[in-house]
Amino acid sequence: MSTLDQSGTVHISDASISVELETPGMTLNIGPQHPSTHGVLRLVAQVDGERVSSLEPMIGYMHRGYEKLVEVRNYAQIITLINRIDWTAGYANEVPFVVAVERLTEIEAPDRAQYIRVILTEMTRISAHLLFLSSFPLELGASTPLMYAVRDREYVLELLESVTGGRFHPNFNRVGGVKPVAGGGSTTKKQSQDLPAGFIAATNAMVKRLRGTCVTFDGLVTGNEVFLARTKGVGIITPDHVHQYGISGPNARASGVGFDVRKHEAYLPYDKFDFAIPTETDGDCFSRYAVRLAEIRESLKIIEQAVNDLPGGPLRSKVPRILKVPAGEIYVRGENPKGEMGYYIVSEGGRIPYRVKIRTASYSNLAVLPELMNGALLPDLVAILGSLDFVLGDVDR
Amino acid sequence: MSFAVLLTVKVLAVLGLMLGGALVVIYAELKVGAHMQNRIGPYFAGGRFGWAQPFADALKFMQKEDLVPDGADDRVYKLAPYVVLMGTIGVFVVLPLSPRFVARDLDLGAFYALAISSLTTLGVLMAGWSSNNKYSLIGGLRAAAQLIAYELPLVLAVVAVAIQAGTLSISGIIEAQAAPAFSIGELNVALPYILTGQIIGFAIFVVASLAELSRIPFDMPIAESELTMGFVTEYSSIRFAMFFLAEYAGMVSMSALATAFYLGGYQLPGLSATAVEVLGPVIFISKVFLLSFLFIWLRWTLPRFREDQLQSLAWRWLIPAALLNIAITATFKVVF
Amino acid sequence: MTDSQSEAGVESTNDTTLTDYATVMATTVGASSWTADHGTIRLLVDRSNWVSAVEAASASGLKFFSFLSAIDWANEVEVGEGVADDAVDERYDLFCRLSSTTSADAVHLVTSVPKDDASIATLTGLFAGAAWHERETAEMFGIDFVGNSNLTKLYLPDEFEGHPLRKSFPLLAREIKPWPGTVDVEDKPSTTNVEADAGAGE
Repeated sequence: MSTLDQSGTVHISDASISVELETPGMTLNIGPQHPSTHGVLRLVAQVDGERVSSLEPMIGYMHRGYEKLVEVRNYAQIITLINRIDWTAGYANEVPFVVAVERLTEIEAPDRAQYIRVILTEMTRISAHLLFLSSFPLELGASTPLMYAVRDREYVLELLESVTGGRFHPNFNRVGGVKPVAGGGSTTKKQSQDLPAGFIAATNAMVKRLRGTCVTFDGLVTGNEVFLARTKGVGIITPDHVHQYGISGPNARASGVGFDVRKHEAYLPYDKFDFAIPTETDGDCFSRYAVRLAEIRESLKIIEQAVNDLPGGPLRSKVPRILKVPAGEIYVRGENPKGEMGYYIVSEGGRIPYRVKIRTASYSNLAVLPELMNGALLPDLVAILGSLDFVLGDVDR
Repeated sequence: MSFAVLLTVKVLAVLGLMLGGALVVIYAELKVGAHMQNRIGPYFAGGRFGWAQPFADALKFMQKEDLVPDGADDRVYKLAPYVVLMGTIGVFVVLPLSPRFVARDLDLGAFYALAISSLTTLGVLMAGWSSNNKYSLIGGLRAAAQLIAYELPLVLAVVAVAIQAGTLSISGIIEAQAAPAFSIGELNVALPYILTGQIIGFAIFVVASLAELSRIPFDMPIAESELTMGFVTEYSSIRFAMFFLAEYAGMVSMSALATAFYLGGYQLPGLSATAVEVLGPVIFISKVFLLSFLFIWLRWTLPRFREDQLQSLAWRWLIPAALLNIAITATFKVVF
Repeated sequence: MTDSQSEAGVESTNDTTLTDYATVMATTVGASSWTADHGTIRLLVDRSNWVSAVEAASASGLKFFSFLSAIDWANEVEVGEGVADDAVDERYDLFCRLSSTTSADAVHLVTSVPKDDASIATLTGLFAGAAWHERETAEMFGIDFVGNSNLTKLYLPDEFEGHPLRKSFPLLAREIKPWPGTVDVEDKPSTTNVEADAGAGE
């Protein structure tokens, strides 16, 4: 009831009327095929008119059993597989896993490879956030931001493709560094290959262009009265929710929990760059939008610094032909676009891990959904779903 | 001319006007929307500029299978699109394109137009109820709630116009706007009502007709991201096309009413009566398309309101504003 | 916007401070033993102390519930490679990660659950978010969480039988066609590591 009171439209008298004229609620099955469930998510909602009284998310339609599949694959093969977990951020999925294996095997990736990882991770973050900027207003009925975001996402994906050869699933990391860049034939493979020609200039141009995109979005979406009316004060995640459910990433930072793995863990050399962690305190849909928009700007800063300070040297350290990972247990996490993604690897000394627990951000972020529903209206449900920015592959693994 | 011939001509003219107007607006929606979004829009159909895209779409719809969902209320389900379309066509009967070019000039034209256009909501409610689909049902009920909330400011806005014009006939209202508002020496200047006191009324009328038409930012009865497609979720084939046509024909008819009530209809300031006689239809249709463009522009710019925010806007802002508008108009009418 | 942490926060987990922190946390939660290799603190607690240990760790500032899952320790495995020595204690290890949202501090609480009595108290009283993780662990490993009222299947179809992440559960696809599993790796080791030579060293 509290969210309704804030909009000033539903008053106590209405509540008493609906008690007097009590009608049985309706069960509304939303999904698995529905325009705003971002894939195959099913929501079983109890609705009383427009009001959602309770909601249960049913997941598992995208369950591919990665934690079992990785138990029959060697480490190099796993990198290909985990690309598909969060398909909007294929590259970022690889990094924590590769870093974990590097730490277990005590192989260190060269500086240049580390910088390339930072650049590509941040590009992935921008492309994932641009996808959010396209889908979130669309769910609120505005279809034009989609076109602007997707157009400019193309500039980022083109750069990603020029380096890795892949737009969505680069499979670019190797234990001990990164793969030689795309397009290299067998003759050039022997040499230490570098980034494609013109990459730095093209990246700087992209950074400039994407700054313009952020300004466009400020004008088209951020200040839009209807957008504000739909998102302010809707679906409030409290810091307590963040801790209880393990909500991470932009969703947590929108609720005032200013934690970012990039600042706290040295999984990539983020300490060499100057960037801020945008946080908001309201925890509503608008805050989640604002944090993501601000994160694009910070990521652009990081890319600009990394590209212009790119150290020279090899792309990959010397790695044994057959990679055996010493026995041990390790957890390494990274800051993915959706939040904290981590791999708990248990190795028994072979070429295949004994167990890998994959901690994905969307899984925890989605679990909080029923808590945000009490008294929300059906249109709010769509706004909240959109603002949580989950990917079903990341939820179900 | 015998009655039968005259009737046939009138029916054909009304249908032609409705279909022609709707097809042009559909094409404009595709093309204008595309350019607002950095796209090209229809390009191939018809050879140039994709001008035949609306026709191609209509043909495509006709070829689809006409599905009736299991458990649907068969007769109501099949009737609903006709009701919606009839409510829209009905308005065109009283639209005067020029002083003489009008199918039927009713004395209560404004009253009739507003009443018959409400029929579409009945059709929408029928579609939502009979589809045996919960999304359709919610969509239909939203449409009904929207009708109750927005019919009132719409009518109240027109009441002020009727007071100022002193008539409920649409032609009469347009003629009243030809009366000189002021004169500079010899020159009598006639201005449309939007410039002579009805600017608030015009704003209310446009907002309320957006809600009547279920267009963004008030497209909650359809709301494809919430209710898949609202009351049209289950429709296919030609019945879907009828809803589609009714939406755009409704846009033309609402724009035409706003043109007649506020923009001076077929009049243009400074044009002589004989010139109006000839150029009337062109002027009227240009104004209609200008307003339709405004509707399209809004649609590709704004997100969607929430149902309760819409109700709050109607009851807390538009209706009091409309009442105030009536009071002011009436005062001026009596005093001057 | 806040620049939330100082630069010092990044490298706080070097080896000495990590072991110091692990010692402190082991005392806090009443762990029977602990390890702190590769920056990953594991505190072994008794099954009977599971809830109280998690509560103590949470009260000490690690309020962020990251995940909960399990490992099946088995000598006989249907898929993949087995354990290094064939004499591992047959058991499930349940592990739960708690971390801080103001620093890099984090611990993994580990407890052993015997296979013939695979049950443990639920954490849903402490963390509402544990509900889904426990449901997942229950269906994947067949561990019963006493006190969790909703342990219905989360991912799998309702009629699914078996617990897929147990090492005794075969992976059907690998039974039918062993590629690209272990067999391929044994026969042609060079195929998967060919880029190793492409690195800088040569």
